[in-house]
Amino acid sequence: MSFTLKIKDKVEEREINGELTIKDLLDDLDLSSETMVAKKNGEIVIEEESIEDGDAIEFIQIIYGG
Amino acid sequence: MGSCTKCGNPNVIIKRKASGQALCKDCFIESIEKKVKQTIKKEKFLEKGDKVLVALSGGKDSVVTLEILNSYVKRHIIELCAVTIDEGIAGYREEGVEIAKAHAERLGIPHKVVSFKESFGIDLDEIMKREGHRGSCTYCGVFRRWIINRAAREFGATKIATGHNLDDETQAILMNYLEGNMENLATIGPKTESNSEMFTVKIKPLREIPEKEIGLYALAKGLDIHLAGCPYAQESFRMEISNILKDLSKDHPTIMYSTLRGFDKIRPALRQELAHDYEYDRCERCGEPSSNRLCRACTFLEELGK
Repeated sequence: MSFTLKIKDKVEEREINGELTIKDLLDDLDLSSETMVAKKNGEIVIEEESIEDGDAIEFIQIIYGG
Repeated sequence: MGSCTKCGNPNVIIKRKASGQALCKDCFIESIEKKVKQTIKKEKFLEKGDKVLVALSGGKDSVVTLEILNSYVKRHIIELCAVTIDEGIAGYREEGVEIAKAHAERLGIPHKVVSFKESFGIDLDEIMKREGHRGSCTYCGVFRRWIINRAAREFGATKIATGHNLDDETQAILMNYLEGNMENLATIGPKTESNSEMFTVKIKPLREIPEKEIGLYALAKGLDIHLAGCPYAQESFRMEISNILKDLSKDHPTIMYSTLRGFDKIRPALRQELAHDYEYDRCERCGEPSSNRLCRACTFLEELGK
């Protein structure tokens, strides 16, 4: 069971072990939901959205410091 | 997981902690446009026949400002024009300029790109190589304002619209309050109010929209935006305040709205006590309005030997 994760131009394949939501993934990566928008298979989703086998997840940083 | 509070669509793209609302893409887009239009009406930002100059960087805030104001162009209420400033930050600014150009062209809006180099004979990358410089943001803010004010007159604009959002406004309120800069605090507001005709009125149509929702709106509408951080962004007091507000907002999601609302209530009293209209004359060097012999931009340029 795996999914792809895209952040900027970097794409990687990640394993899923059990239940996983967008929020879990953001926390794992130490990314803030305050600055990121998540897309699942090209559609914008909220943090509670679950990630399933074969999904393409993308995180887009919309807030930058400065 | 819930469905859209307004239409029942199960594909929700935002859950607003502040109001408890969950919204699908279409209802979210509609809610942002409605809120901005309410701000425009409440603050009397636009009058029929206005020519509004948008300070268009290509980032989310300015692109969304242009997009929503364009609906007033379609209804023949206002005209739009736009200026993009090329500060000369290699590897960063180019993409924003291209995105800004594309939006102006797509909407058929008169647009010009003005560089620091052509205006001042020096760009930001060159300034940052100088010994003893004042910090990138200091030059950038002053030089950008100089170019925007001049562009507004060249276009014959009656208003200047900037992309300041709810986060920017609450950060500015808190920063000035905490530092005791009460005279600066008194100048914060939905539009600039100067008794000098040399300044074009500035308006902030997005000041009641949280920054994250502006980004989400741009993505939901499929608008191309410049997504990158300025390489000169540094740890600053503003960034510390921004982090405090973001942390507070997690458990107190209405905190930025209440900060702005409360401030707007005391603003008239603050202005009465603290704001004073400076006597403006013209800068000896460039002819722009200035309360001193030289305006801030020319003061910096003399320091830089330009």
